[in-house]
Amino acid sequence: MDEPMVDASGAQVKVTFTTTEADLQLPESKRQLLVPADIRRYGLSRVLNSESMLDTGSIPFDFLVNGSFLRTSLEDYLTNNGLSLESNLTLQYVRSLIPPVYEASFEHDDWVSAVDVLSASSPSGRWSGDSFQRGQDRILSASFDGLLRIWNASGQVIATSPSGSHGGHTASIKAAKFLTNTQLASAGMDRTVRVWKYTESDHFSGDLKPTLELYGHTGSIDSLEVDGASKRILTASADGAIGFWSTSKASAPEADSSLLPNAHTSKRRKVTTSVTAAQRGPLSLMPIHSAPASAAVFDPRDRTVAYSASQDHTLRTIDLTTSTVVTTHSTTHPLLSLCALPRGNNSSPLLAAGTAARHITLVDPRASAATTSVMTLRGHANKPVALCASPRNEYALVSAAHDGTCRVWDLRSVRPATQEEGGLGSVSEAVYVIEREGKGAKKSVAVAGEGCKVFGVVWDAELGIVSGGEDKRVQINAGRDVVAE
Amino acid sequence: MGSKITDKKRKSRDSDSESDDELANGLFDGILSQSEDEEDYLPSDDDDGVEDSEDEGTGASDDDDDDDDILSDDIPSDVDSEEAINRLVKQQGELEITEPGVDPKREEDDGADRNYRIEKDANGGERYVYDEIDPVYDSDDSDAKGPVNTIGDIPLSFYDSYPHIGYDINGKKIMRPATGDALQSLLDSIEVPKGWTGLTDVDTGNPLNLTQDELELVRRVQMGLLPTDVQDPYPDTVEYFTSIEEKMPLSSAPEPKRRFLPSKNEAKQIMKLVRAIREGRILPYKPPEEREREEEEQEEVHFDLWQNEEPQAPNPMHIPAPKLAPPGYDLSYNPPEEYLPSKEEREEWENADPEDREKEYLPQKHNALRKVPAWGNLVKERFERCMDLYLAPRIRKNRLNIDPNSLLPKLPSPSELKPFPTVAQTIFRGHEGRVRSVSVDPTGVALATGGDDGTVRVWELLTGRQVWSVKLNSEEPVNAVRWRPTKDAFVLAAAAGEDIFLMVPTHASVTPALDQASRDILATGFGYATNGQQPAAPVGKEPAAKWARPGTKLEDEGVLIRITVRSTVKVINWHRRGDHFATVSPTGQRSSVAIHTLSKHLTQIPFRKLSGLAQTAAFHPLRPLFFVATQRTIRCYDLQKLELVKVVQPGAKWISSFDIHPGGDNLIVGSYDKRLLWHDLDLSNRPYKTMRFHGQAIRQVRYHRGGLPLFADASDDGSLQIFHGKVPNDQLENPTIVPVKMLKGHKVVSKLGVLDIDWHPREPWCVSAGADGTARLWM
Repeated sequence: MDEPMVDASGAQVKVTFTTTEADLQLPESKRQLLVPADIRRYGLSRVLNSESMLDTGSIPFDFLVNGSFLRTSLEDYLTNNGLSLESNLTLQYVRSLIPPVYEASFEHDDWVSAVDVLSASSPSGRWSGDSFQRGQDRILSASFDGLLRIWNASGQVIATSPSGSHGGHTASIKAAKFLTNTQLASAGMDRTVRVWKYTESDHFSGDLKPTLELYGHTGSIDSLEVDGASKRILTASADGAIGFWSTSKASAPEADSSLLPNAHTSKRRKVTTSVTAAQRGPLSLMPIHSAPASAAVFDPRDRTVAYSASQDHTLRTIDLTTSTVVTTHSTTHPLLSLCALPRGNNSSPLLAAGTAARHITLVDPRASAATTSVMTLRGHANKPVALCASPRNEYALVSAAHDGTCRVWDLRSVRPATQEEGGLGSVSEAVYVIEREGKGAKKSVAVAGEGCKVFGVVWDAELGIVSGGEDKRVQINAGRDVVAE
Repeated sequence: MGSKITDKKRKSRDSDSESDDELANGLFDGILSQSEDEEDYLPSDDDDGVEDSEDEGTGASDDDDDDDDILSDDIPSDVDSEEAINRLVKQQGELEITEPGVDPKREEDDGADRNYRIEKDANGGERYVYDEIDPVYDSDDSDAKGPVNTIGDIPLSFYDSYPHIGYDINGKKIMRPATGDALQSLLDSIEVPKGWTGLTDVDTGNPLNLTQDELELVRRVQMGLLPTDVQDPYPDTVEYFTSIEEKMPLSSAPEPKRRFLPSKNEAKQIMKLVRAIREGRILPYKPPEEREREEEEQEEVHFDLWQNEEPQAPNPMHIPAPKLAPPGYDLSYNPPEEYLPSKEEREEWENADPEDREKEYLPQKHNALRKVPAWGNLVKERFERCMDLYLAPRIRKNRLNIDPNSLLPKLPSPSELKPFPTVAQTIFRGHEGRVRSVSVDPTGVALATGGDDGTVRVWELLTGRQVWSVKLNSEEPVNAVRWRPTKDAFVLAAAAGEDIFLMVPTHASVTPALDQASRDILATGFGYATNGQQPAAPVGKEPAAKWARPGTKLEDEGVLIRITVRSTVKVINWHRRGDHFATVSPTGQRSSVAIHTLSKHLTQIPFRKLSGLAQTAAFHPLRPLFFVATQRTIRCYDLQKLELVKVVQPGAKWISSFDIHPGGDNLIVGSYDKRLLWHDLDLSNRPYKTMRFHGQAIRQVRYHRGGLPLFADASDDGSLQIFHGKVPNDQLENPTIVPVKMLKGHKVVSKLGVLDIDWHPREPWCVSAGADGTARLWM
């Protein structure tokens, strides 16, 4: 490490380094420094890492000037902002973020509608408890061909669910989630929620057996949320109902016989199944939405509270113990996706909902029903249909949309809304945009993300950002240090 | 002086030419001096003149005097001087009398107004008795108070022995005034009256009393003082007119020699200054700062006289001169080559009559500005310009100063009319060939399309996933697909060729109960038919349509009924309750419009005869009315009274489609001649508004049915136009129609663009069917 601040030829700028990271504090005497005006992020990072400063070796740093990241040289920044070279710049340094680089793609036969991850840090891994073995990271993908596939991290299919004639889904699967490392749930256009028993004989082959078929919805089930601890499933269906289900045969009530596949004697094709699983009904089915319900999620801190979003523009808080709607938030657009962002100190979560107007709106469920959204995330060119909170911090989330991109959002980078955007509230823009890799997407930006719509996304601490879509792939991008801690 | 007097005489004679030579004696001078005020100054003038002439030479002084005289003699036109002359003449008359040897007859000639009369005196001789002279108002004859003793300078003692003391001017004796007795005079001498002198007035013989003032005067004279009590007897003259004579500035006199000689005194003064400057005692200039400061001070003195003046509009009658055209490139001294005339052009210009020339000049090239010659026609040109400005009348034209934008009706901006579809969000690909028809099911989840490949496909609306499909006909395209508009069943009607198919597109999301309900609805008619309740077709007449099962292969797919009519069906429209639907086969002649009843499996032809080719037909959304559009008109029939209610004439040449507003009172009509027409059914049978926004034929028009004030049209130019069309609740208000968005995306294939359009039942989303083989969801 040389002393980069010695630059006889160019102008010098006086900078003050600050940080919020406790382990990277500079001594008071070293905080002010004269640096060459043409220095960039990399140079500043080397200055900070040098022996005379932090002596940290090679931690990449990013620098925040006035709330925005320094992306040009200091000189350019000063000229662009109309500041003189004499002005004292305050640089807040944070650990540099690594873009979510593309890592792998897993090919499918049909569109991938949903993905989930089983890893040590994922919710399912935690619910698995001690039975989860290290290195048993699995990716679950649900496909429109009606099959569930379980992959290991190196891209091999370990297990595939049976087809419709063998106890599997008879139509496209729209949602699937790991409950534990041995149990998973899926739901789809055949209106059923299926609970599967997953067994692995060795690390390269496994078996999926249907254990339970849950009937109750009269429309396609578009979203599914599980709680492995209480063994409960929450579903949202196009019939406008929110279903609350149990994964155990014993606790689940009987199913409505009219909904069973052989309930009527018509001339339509019979689905003959060789394997029959137990058929059960919902713990409660709440027809609370007047339009297709698009998503339902558990409250991350209290599993007896759920939130549901619907195309009827409402976001409802449901008390699951009594199956009643507690509050209703009306928004201006149909809602297509929902995720709860946990907030620290045991307060209620912030809800992010993707709307048909191509943005993600953040709603505080505690606020009165009259208030509008807290913040709007803008940037998607098509419907955001899947959202996932960051596993590491409560400021970040990733969204998947029909425009063929996943976007990573940092809720701390905020700007006020412009007049065109309605002028109210604050707006955030994506930190990173993850495009689809592969032959179709690279060629040209298709109209409305045609051919590369992303249907599902999961952000795992270990495997990264896993997304699946219309390009028949599950795509994995690095998810570590994408957003500042 | 002598010459001056003669000059004066000459002038006087010139002015009084009627005067005789006799008047030109020495006395004349005096008379003039009395009558002319200016004469008083003359002696001093002359003295000055003499002194001047001693200085400057006699010639100059003579000239000066002449000029003076001319100046003084030029005055007599004045009224005052005329009066003076009259007086002068009278006095001349007096003079003649005192002057011996004057012919009195000359006076008689003067006329009747003589101022004397002739009397006989004591000797019998003639005696002239003059009238009392009536002094004019400002006459200074103040002495003639009483009788004046005319005895002259002889002592009064000569008359001591006479009773009179002399004679007055008329020769009458002035009698000695009576004197008092001795006692009285003694008393008088004892008691001295005021002003008593002890003298006798010569004129009157009375004791001479003097006033105090007179005594004081006498005293002063005796003392050798000034007779009057004034401070300064010789004050400086305050002249009413200046007496300083201006030198003639344009004198032709040569400059005196001394002017050419440098003045030694001045040289001395200058040398003194020079020495002072050299020694530094004085500075020739002030130091610059001081000078600046002084200048600033001087500047501060200046103030803006007009600073508070407010700008005023120019005179309303002022018309500025029209501006000349600015010079072009060809007027440049160094124009580009293309502006220079060719040889022929130059010759033509030179040979042409100056009047006929297009331009007054020929462009010329000079390689330096200093080589440009003077412009020979400058004066002529300027003159002509001046003549133009002077002779050509200028008229102030009153232009209408109206902002054209203000004349446009005030429309809300599209951003205020949100929501409306703006971009394509899902593209439904799968059809081979054109997609002819689209329909969104009443729940808003499924989309049905029909296309040229003879298939009907059902899609998941948001994801664009095809969930169901059936091939109805391998040869004929599917011309129309329409969902049955109720949520209690899941029934789709599709028309391919002459067949109308009713199907239950049961994909996985349809519950068995719904599926069964749909099948039951379709199947009830079979029982109705078999029970023999269907009216038997008239013998010898082919039934209007044949209802049948389409065969097991299609029945397995969910297609449950086939209705075969006589000609190709292009349009299907359901009644709102879902029991009836109307089909239109434009080529079907008499049976082109048919109404099918689902529950009875019955097809009826409502019109025995239809004037014109039927294009489309629809049920009124609320009332039992039925609308049929032919090429030019739309007819509205009452289905209960079975009568024609209304004829709407949009004025289009060929109506392609129409749609009725969910409120029921308004109608939009699309036509193949690119027009979109809005009709208010209550208002008139002519269109309320005509819109021509498309470059090609309009294929389909459609209102939003879910409560949003939107409608859209689809055109062969590959675009959809979204309109905000708000129908007010108040009957008196007019609907607001604002075009909000043009949706482009469909490709035009063999001159066909967008063929059909449908709205989502709730949201501002619309689906279009394109000739490029795609259907698109716009939101």
